[in-house]
Amino acid sequence: MKKKAHFKADEARTGLGVFKGLEVRIGQVIDDEWDEPMGPTPMPGPTGLRSWDHKLLSKYHPSYMPYCQVCCLCTFGKCDLSGDKRGACGIDMKGQQARIVLAAANIGNAAHLAHARHLVEHLIEEHGPRTELIQGPGTEIHAPVSRLVTGMRPKTLEDASIILDYCESQLAHTLSATHTGQEGSWLDFESKVLHVGMIDQVSMEIADLVQISTMDFPQADPEAPLVDSGIGMMDTSKAIILAIGHNIVPAASITDYITEKKLGAKVEVGGMCCTAWDMTRRDPNAKVIGPISWQLRYIRSGKADVIVVDEQCIRTDVVTEAQKVKAPVISTCDKAVMGLPDRSDDSIDSIVEELVSGKIPGAYIPDHHKVGAVATKVALAVMPKRRKMKFFPTKKQIQKMAQECKKCSECIRSCPNNQPVMEAVLAAQTGNFEPLRDVYRNCIGCARCESACPNDYDLHSWMVVAAEEDCRNETFKVRTGRGAIQDTEIRSVGQPIVFGEIPGVIAHVGCANYPSGGADIYEMAEEFAKRRYIILTSGCAAVSAGHVRDENGQSIYERRGGEFDAGCVVNVGSCVSNPHIAGAAIKIAAIFAKRNLRGNYAEIADYIHNRVGAVGISWGAMSQKAASIASGFWRLGVPVIVGPHGSKYRRMLLGKAEEERAWTVYDARTGERVVTAPGPEHLFYAAETVDEANVMTAKLCIRPNDTGKGRSIKLSHYIDIHEKAYGFFPEDVWKYIRRETDIPITLKDKIHAQMKENKWKERTIPDPTLLKEMVMGGGK
Amino acid sequence: MVMRPVPWQTGEICGPDSAKSLTKAAQLKRDLGKMKKPLLIVGSEAVNMEHGKGDMIDYAIALSEAGKIPVVATGGAIKSFIEKGFEGAKSMGAMELAFYLQDETWKGPHEKGPHDMVLVYGIPYYMQWTMLSGIMNFGTHLRRITLGRYYQPHADWSIPNMKEKQWHALLDEILEFVGGGK
Repeated sequence: MKKKAHFKADEARTGLGVFKGLEVRIGQVIDDEWDEPMGPTPMPGPTGLRSWDHKLLSKYHPSYMPYCQVCCLCTFGKCDLSGDKRGACGIDMKGQQARIVLAAANIGNAAHLAHARHLVEHLIEEHGPRTELIQGPGTEIHAPVSRLVTGMRPKTLEDASIILDYCESQLAHTLSATHTGQEGSWLDFESKVLHVGMIDQVSMEIADLVQISTMDFPQADPEAPLVDSGIGMMDTSKAIILAIGHNIVPAASITDYITEKKLGAKVEVGGMCCTAWDMTRRDPNAKVIGPISWQLRYIRSGKADVIVVDEQCIRTDVVTEAQKVKAPVISTCDKAVMGLPDRSDDSIDSIVEELVSGKIPGAYIPDHHKVGAVATKVALAVMPKRRKMKFFPTKKQIQKMAQECKKCSECIRSCPNNQPVMEAVLAAQTGNFEPLRDVYRNCIGCARCESACPNDYDLHSWMVVAAEEDCRNETFKVRTGRGAIQDTEIRSVGQPIVFGEIPGVIAHVGCANYPSGGADIYEMAEEFAKRRYIILTSGCAAVSAGHVRDENGQSIYERRGGEFDAGCVVNVGSCVSNPHIAGAAIKIAAIFAKRNLRGNYAEIADYIHNRVGAVGISWGAMSQKAASIASGFWRLGVPVIVGPHGSKYRRMLLGKAEEERAWTVYDARTGERVVTAPGPEHLFYAAETVDEANVMTAKLCIRPNDTGKGRSIKLSHYIDIHEKAYGFFPEDVWKYIRRETDIPITLKDKIHAQMKENKWKERTIPDPTLLKEMVMGGGK
Repeated sequence: MVMRPVPWQTGEICGPDSAKSLTKAAQLKRDLGKMKKPLLIVGSEAVNMEHGKGDMIDYAIALSEAGKIPVVATGGAIKSFIEKGFEGAKSMGAMELAFYLQDETWKGPHEKGPHDMVLVYGIPYYMQWTMLSGIMNFGTHLRRITLGRYYQPHADWSIPNMKEKQWHALLDEILEFVGGGK
């Protein structure tokens, strides 16, 4: 491996002394211990994999659904792009929509990449640049995404920094493409979406790898600890620190301080969103309170004595909300300072004094060494007084206030899920709080209803009061993030996955913008786990999957193993752990098919697309980060399903089942062009209901490479789920039959009839590839 | 209760073009007379929407039979049609429909197209909003009529956020207008 490197540090403490303003430029870093040959595309630029992207995009057409018909990004405009009009810069509606998709993916990647950069810089400062990176036992193929994309295998924090240099340069390119007068073709905008998605996977892999290596996280551990989760798990007899966001560094400072000072009996730490996962990966005594959408309900409860925010997915009104319950806020990250005064240079005691006295609503403390002490001391100091305070109105008070409801419906109109908030308020007038409790169960915690209410009712708080018992009962055990999948696990399931005998690998990832409550995640995960698919989870979806108890009082994580195997439920961790899911698919190509990974992206993506029946589901996808995560999976040819709110990403990637040409592959053995079934039929799809998502999930697991047995198993599940959800036998089964052996034996008669009706003809089962160069002999 | 033709979900405003307000069945006379190949799209929420003595699936069946309009059900609403013994409905995803309808040569799930008009209701509001935006911008050969209670700006004709009673009456009027409901 040859790569230019540049290392810069304001201050570096080394064995030789302290260096200030240190800057080192290295011409080449040579990994001469690695004998894997370099592939064709190490560290590709924005057009380096364009030809692969165009293969995907000619199969999966972008279907745009514009949010508005104007472009308002420059002062040429606003430009009306309706009909076949073009803007002053020359862009048309399709180009503009693709540009917006790219902007979203860029924003998402920027968040992960900046997070990764902060971690790497912080850890180099703490541990030194030569600190070894370790993914865990049984992970000889370490950092599969990085080696696939960059041709490097990051062994040290210094290597990680070099890889991030590459990612940053790529993000600058793809971001610049959205500027007025740059890219003009929707196709090339979309290719860059896939590029930045791939870069996002690398950025996230580096972020998780460096924290796993240095912060005592579980390392590829299928038995990662079960930890407490849910609002009801928080012990209010202790002072409570709530940490929100994604960056472990400040949260680790808190848990470390509590451990060091032996304050565990007096202070409780709970997290929300991905910080929760990463805290519990480091310290299983910490707790996962809930997903992103639980923020407001928990802050409003007043139970958190101090709120510590780091980065990403934080409510931007956190200071205002915290002030209502007299809880100080500590902001720790330069991306989310929240208007708070900078106290980084002040002593711990003086910051504590100001926060406890209420002189300031919060403080910006970027020095993580101080955060733990400040948060803990403040929490202990304010807790006794705060426990005597009541922050929610009583039911009686709500009933009285509700009498003044103007019945204007604005609360319903502003609710993303059109919840019957007004009807619930009207029921509360009579002392019936059940409808408000029902709204709570489907609420995503945005509080838009409150903003819209002309009476300024604290409607979200009313829901929480109505659902007090539900909150108390939120007591679950969830398995914290294990990190990577071991090579040995891949070795035992690689073949059944590629042959289709394990019918699919389904990953539930992303945010909590659910159309009707988080229990949907559990239902979907359980439906497929019991059918012996491998289920992976991460982020907020991983929290929601664990927030349902079965009849024995167990969560899905207690009931099912954490190994990468059929019927198991594998929580990889936080948002930045998602590349372990991509990495598992990549490692199948390396371990089972012995393909080289190093700088060999297109070949491996082609392998995954045609052979690995993986589907990503982001049922509550909300953020730009979810967009960039999905884009990374698309470039690997892995389809992604989102919930109905995902339609607001404004662009689907859809196949046309009847377009025979789109489903033609090369048979790598003969070089012949062979028509295959439309599988996977779509690359990005928003489902309207859980039923539709389940049917589509089963269908999107089908791959051209399935063996007869594998195809028959996959079709059995597809047919069964389809019949249950839709009430009839699917009409397209015949398209997926290549030979008699593909037919599920118990359904032979029905399928034969369908085949006859559609004049079915036997087809060969190819060694499928979209790449001519993969044909034996190089396709010449 | 807002009774104006403004987007029901307050943030879902759109661009220069927006739907005309549909308050009387007679307003559809020209479109229904001119358009020969309509398609009725019925979403998952129709299953739980009451109308008269039945639900909005029953209404779709009545409308389909009266106007000889093929039905496509989205999000699993097909199950309800089948349970009611109606065989004229097909199933597709709302996002697939938004895509296929942009193709003016597409013959539709019943092979009775190409369609020149869509009548839509029952898909979650925001999803119907995005779906109609796709059709409005890239399927310009289609007339778009929404029959849900709430205003959809990306239609050509849309009911302007009606009170429930008024909406049901208008639905019956429309049904009668196409020759049904007697």
